[in-house]
Amino acid sequence: MTEAETLVQIQEVLQHLEHVSFVAHRDTKEAMPSVEPHGAADTLLWIETARDLFFRDREGGKSFLRHTPHMVEQTGTVRPWVEQAATFGKWVNGWRALEGFLAQAGEVWQAWGAEGEQAWYQLGIRWCERGIPEGRAYFEAGFRELAGGEGIEGLRGLMQPAETLYTERKLNLDVFLAGATIARAMVGSRGLEAWARRGADILQTGRSRGEAYFRLESEESLKHLLDTLPGYRPRAHSRFLRLIQVAWFGAHVSLEDGNWRPGRGRPMVETDGVRLFLPAVLESRDEAVVSVLHAAGHLHFDTYCGEDIEALFQTMGMAHPPLDEDQRITWRPLFAAYAERMFRFQLLFDLCEDLRVNHRLQGLVPGFLSRLLRLARNHPAPEGAAGEYYRIALAAHESLITGQGLDARLQPLLSEGATIQDSFRIACALFEDAAFPEIDVEGREQAYLPGLSMNTARAVYPRKRGEPVGGYNEDTDAHADQKAVQEKQAELPPPQAPEQRQNDPDPDINVPQENTSGSGGRIGVGIPMPAQVDKRGVAHQQTLEGVPYPEWDYREQRYLSDWARVHEKRLEESDPDRAELLLAEHAPMLKRLRRALELQRPSRVAPLRKQLDGDELDLEAVTGFIADKKAGLSPKPFIYRRRTVQHRDTAVLLLADMSTSIMAKHPSGQGKVVDRLRAGLMMFAEAIESVGDPYAICGFASRHHDNVNFYVLKDFHEHTGPDVRASIAAVSGRLASRMGAAIRHGIRRFEQADAHHRLLLILSDGRPADYDDGGDSRYLHEDTRMAMKEAVDAGVHPFCITLDTSGSEYLPAIFGPGHYLVLDNVDDLPRRLPEIYLRLRR
Amino acid sequence: MKNLFNKLRGVERDAVQKPVEGEAPFYLPQGNEVEVFKAAYAKRLPVMLKGPTGCGKTRFLEHMAHVLGRPLVTVSCHEDLTSSDLVGRFLLEGEETVWQDGPLTRAVKEGAICYLDEIVEARTDTTVVIHPLTDHRRQLPIDKKSQIIDAHEDFMLVISYNPGYQTVLKDLKPSTKQRFVGLQFDYPKEDIERQIVKTESGGLDEALVDKLVAAGRKARGLKDHGLEEATSTRALCYAAELMNAGLSPMDACRAALIHPITDDPELVEALEEIFRAHFGAES
Repeated sequence: MTEAETLVQIQEVLQHLEHVSFVAHRDTKEAMPSVEPHGAADTLLWIETARDLFFRDREGGKSFLRHTPHMVEQTGTVRPWVEQAATFGKWVNGWRALEGFLAQAGEVWQAWGAEGEQAWYQLGIRWCERGIPEGRAYFEAGFRELAGGEGIEGLRGLMQPAETLYTERKLNLDVFLAGATIARAMVGSRGLEAWARRGADILQTGRSRGEAYFRLESEESLKHLLDTLPGYRPRAHSRFLRLIQVAWFGAHVSLEDGNWRPGRGRPMVETDGVRLFLPAVLESRDEAVVSVLHAAGHLHFDTYCGEDIEALFQTMGMAHPPLDEDQRITWRPLFAAYAERMFRFQLLFDLCEDLRVNHRLQGLVPGFLSRLLRLARNHPAPEGAAGEYYRIALAAHESLITGQGLDARLQPLLSEGATIQDSFRIACALFEDAAFPEIDVEGREQAYLPGLSMNTARAVYPRKRGEPVGGYNEDTDAHADQKAVQEKQAELPPPQAPEQRQNDPDPDINVPQENTSGSGGRIGVGIPMPAQVDKRGVAHQQTLEGVPYPEWDYREQRYLSDWARVHEKRLEESDPDRAELLLAEHAPMLKRLRRALELQRPSRVAPLRKQLDGDELDLEAVTGFIADKKAGLSPKPFIYRRRTVQHRDTAVLLLADMSTSIMAKHPSGQGKVVDRLRAGLMMFAEAIESVGDPYAICGFASRHHDNVNFYVLKDFHEHTGPDVRASIAAVSGRLASRMGAAIRHGIRRFEQADAHHRLLLILSDGRPADYDDGGDSRYLHEDTRMAMKEAVDAGVHPFCITLDTSGSEYLPAIFGPGHYLVLDNVDDLPRRLPEIYLRLRR
Repeated sequence: MKNLFNKLRGVERDAVQKPVEGEAPFYLPQGNEVEVFKAAYAKRLPVMLKGPTGCGKTRFLEHMAHVLGRPLVTVSCHEDLTSSDLVGRFLLEGEETVWQDGPLTRAVKEGAICYLDEIVEARTDTTVVIHPLTDHRRQLPIDKKSQIIDAHEDFMLVISYNPGYQTVLKDLKPSTKQRFVGLQFDYPKEDIERQIVKTESGGLDEALVDKLVAAGRKARGLKDHGLEEATSTRALCYAAELMNAGLSPMDACRAALIHPITDDPELVEALEEIFRAHFGAES
C-alpha cells in the first residue's frame, strides 16, 4: 500500500467516524496531530484501532483517544502500545481495564523501558483473560506500589501467589491487592503466599471476615503477619521491660498494646501519663529498651506534670487545658496557634523536652545516651527536612555526652530544675529561627531518633509533680476514685444474650431473664403488663442466713458485730473432663514434682531418731545410751531409728480468691488467669496428697457484706478423688473479694484439723474489695489486717501469695513483711504453689 | 603425733581460742551497731542479729570479738541439731565413759562469745537450753550430768535470725525473742558499701568499684519481682574479687551476681541489662 493510499484510507475512516459519532470524530481530530508525525502506516493503525474500540465500546474509544497525546509523548512511538490497547477490544466492558492501562502505560514505559512495559502489560492481560474485574484491579493499582521498588521482578513476585490462589481457590485479585503490598513489605515475597493462603481459607468461611483479613483490619491477619515479621516483640518481653523499669526507677509503669498497625507509619511508644502503649513490633531489643526507658523517663521527670501543662496553656492565652471526658488533657489546642506550621513547632518542642528528659535519664541509667546514639547512627537518616531535624537531634544528643557544642539556646534544659515549661519556652524561641526547615506530617514522623517518639501523641492524665509512677497512693492518686469505679464496672459481668445466660458459668448471677428486666415492663409484646421494678432494681435486702462474723471498721475503730455473713457452699459445677485434661497437660510437671518429693523422703523419714521402738539401732543414741549407763546414769532406751513417714504435723488451708478478676486475660494474651489458677490448685492438691499432710482447699467470693460465699473444694477429711479434681477444674471467677470475712471463716474451719502447725495460705490476685465498700479501699484493707491478727491469735499462720505485681505496696501493711510473696509470673503458679508450701512447712 | 602436726601447720585449731593479735577483721559500721553491741557486752546481755543474707552479720561479730578480745565460737544451726550437740555428751573411751563438752558449754565455761547462726533452723529443744543463759541467771543446766554451770563472767550469747518467708512456720517464740537485744542489719549505704567492696577486693580500681556497687544496688530493686534473695554485699565483694583476679566485669558479674541467684531467663536478662549498662564501656 502506498502512502497516498494509506492517507486516503485514514480519511475514509475519519469520514466514517464523522457519520457515526460527532464526539468520536471531534476527539480523533484533536488527537491525530500527535500521531501523524510517526508516519501514515502507524496513523492508520491508530485510527483503525480507535474506530474499532469505539464501535465495540464507546467509553473505551473515548479513553483511547483521550490518552493518545501523552502516550505518544511518553513512549515516543505509536505502534507497540496501540497494538496492546487493541487487545482490550475483545472484551465487552473491557474499557475500565483499558482506562487503567492507558493511564499508567506511559509511565511504565518511561520507568522500565519498552520490554518492562511489555511484561507489565502481559501480566495484566492474563488477568483480563481471567476476568475483567481482575484486569481492572491490576491496571488500576499503581505499578510502582505493586513492584515495591524491585521493578518487574517485584511485580512478578507479588502476582505469583495471586495467580496460584486464583486458579486454586478463585481468590479475586482486588481482594488480594487490598493488603498484599503492605504484607509483602512486612514478610517479603516468600512469606506472602502463606499469608494469602490463610486469607483464602478465611474468606471461604465468611466474606466479610475474609475481606477484613486482606484489608489488614482483623486481628488474625495482623497476628499472622507479626508472627513472621522480623524485629523485637515487646509483648513477648513485657516482664523483662517491666523488670528493667523496676531496676532503674524503682517502680514500673504498666505496659499495654498500642494501636500501631503495619503500614501505618513508624512504630512508636506512646503514653497517656499513666501507662505506656507499645507497638507490636520494634526494630530491635535495644530500641525497645531505650523506648521504654525514655517514655517512662517522661513520666518520672514530670513531662506530664499538670501544673506545668496548665502554665503552658496560660502562656498560650488559655485559662485551663481542655479536658476530654476522661479528664485527660488534649494537646492540639496548644499547637493550634501555629496552624499549618504546627508540625514544625511540635517537633522542636519534642526535641527540647526529649533532650531535657534524656539528660536526666543519663544520670540515672549509665550509658543510656551512648546506647541511644548507637541506635541513631545505625538507623538510616531520613531524607529532606526530616533528615535535617534528625541530624540536629543527633548532634544535640552527642553534645550531651561530650559536654560541648550544644546550642546555647538549649543549655538551660540541662539545669537541675528545668521543666517542660523551659522546653516550651525554648521551642518557641527556636521556632522563630528560620534555620529550622518547614516540615509536613509525614516528615515529622521520620524526624525522630529511634527510641524517641511523639510526646503529645495521646491525651494524657495530668500528674502531680514528683508523683511516683506505677505506685498507688490513696491520697495523691487523682484517679483513684475513678479507677475504682472502672474496676468495679469491669468486675461486673458483661450483659449477655438470654440464650447465653443459661450457660453462664456463674450460678450466682445466673438469674432467669424475666427477673432481671428491671423497669420498662414488656411494652410492645402484645399483652399489656404494668411496668414494674423488680429483683435487681430493688434496694438491697439483708439476709440473716449464714455464719455471722464481726468486721473491723477503722473509721470508728471498732468491730461491727455480726456484720459479715458467710455462706458455706459446695461448688455446684464440676468439670471432670477438664480435670483429666489438666492432669494430662501437667503430667511432666507432676512427675518432676513427685520425684522431688521422693528425693525429699529419705531425709524426711530417717531423722526419726532416738525412738523407743524401731527398725534399726540409732548408732549415736546407742553410744550415748551405753556411755550414760557406764557413767552410772539410768538412761531410757531411746535407741532406735524408725522409718515411718514423719508426721510434720502441719495442716494447711488454701484459700483462693475467686473474684471476677481471675477471669481476666493472661498478660501474654493466651488464655485466662483462671486457667493457671486451676492448674495451680490441682498441682497443689496432688503434691500435698503425696506428702500426706491434712489439707483443705477453699475459695471465696462476695457480693455485699451479708453475702460472702465460701466454697469448699476439698475438706480436711476428704480424700482427693475424681470429685474433688472435677470441682477444682470447674473453678471460675465471680463477684468481689471480701477477704477478711473469708479469713475468719477459714480460721474457724481449722477447728476440724488437729495439727500443731496451721497454715492459712491465701492466694489472691488483687486488693480486697467489695461492691459495698463505698470505694474506700482502706476499709477492707484494715479489716483484712485485723483478720490476720485474729488468725495469729488463734494459732494460725497466715501467708499470702499474690499475683498482683503491685502487691508489695499494700501487702506488708496487711500481712507483715515476710508473710507474703508476689508471684510475678502467672505461668509460674502451677509449679510454684506446691513448691512454696513445701518450703513453708520445712 | 598427727594432731600435733596439724596444730603446727595451723590447719587445726581449737574451737575456743582467743583472737590472734593484729588487725581486727575488716568491718565498717553502718550505724550505731558497734556502740550498741559494746553496751550489751558491758552488761553481758544476749544479742540477736537480724538481717538479710550476706549483709555482714557474721563479719560484724568476728570484728567485735576481735575488738573485745574474746574467743568466738560459731555454731551453724541445722534441722537435726539437738541440744546435746550444743551442750555435750558422754563418749566411750576404752572401758571408760568420758564426758565431752559441746561448743556452747565450752563457751560458757571459758568466757567466749557463742554465736548460734540461723537459730530458727535448729530443733525447738535447743532454744529451751539457751533460755536460762539469756536472763539474769546466766546458767547452763546439763541434765545428763545433773549439773548447772554458771557462766563465765565474759560469756556472751549471740544469735542470728533472718526473717524470710521460708521461716514463717519456724519463727522464734516471742518469749525467746524478747530475751535478746535486737540489732537490725541491712545492706549498707552506698558510700559505705563502696568502701567495703574496695577493701574486700584487695584494691580494685575505684571506678570499677563505683560502677559495681551502683549496679548492685539497682539489681537489689528486683527483689520481690521474682528474686528471692537480693544481691548481697558479700556477692558484690565476690564479683569485685573476681574482677581483681582478671575476669572481665561482665563475666565476673554473671558468675557472682546473676547465676547464683536466679534461673529465670527474664530475670537474668534484666540483671544483665543492669550490669551491662554500668559496665558498657568495659564489656
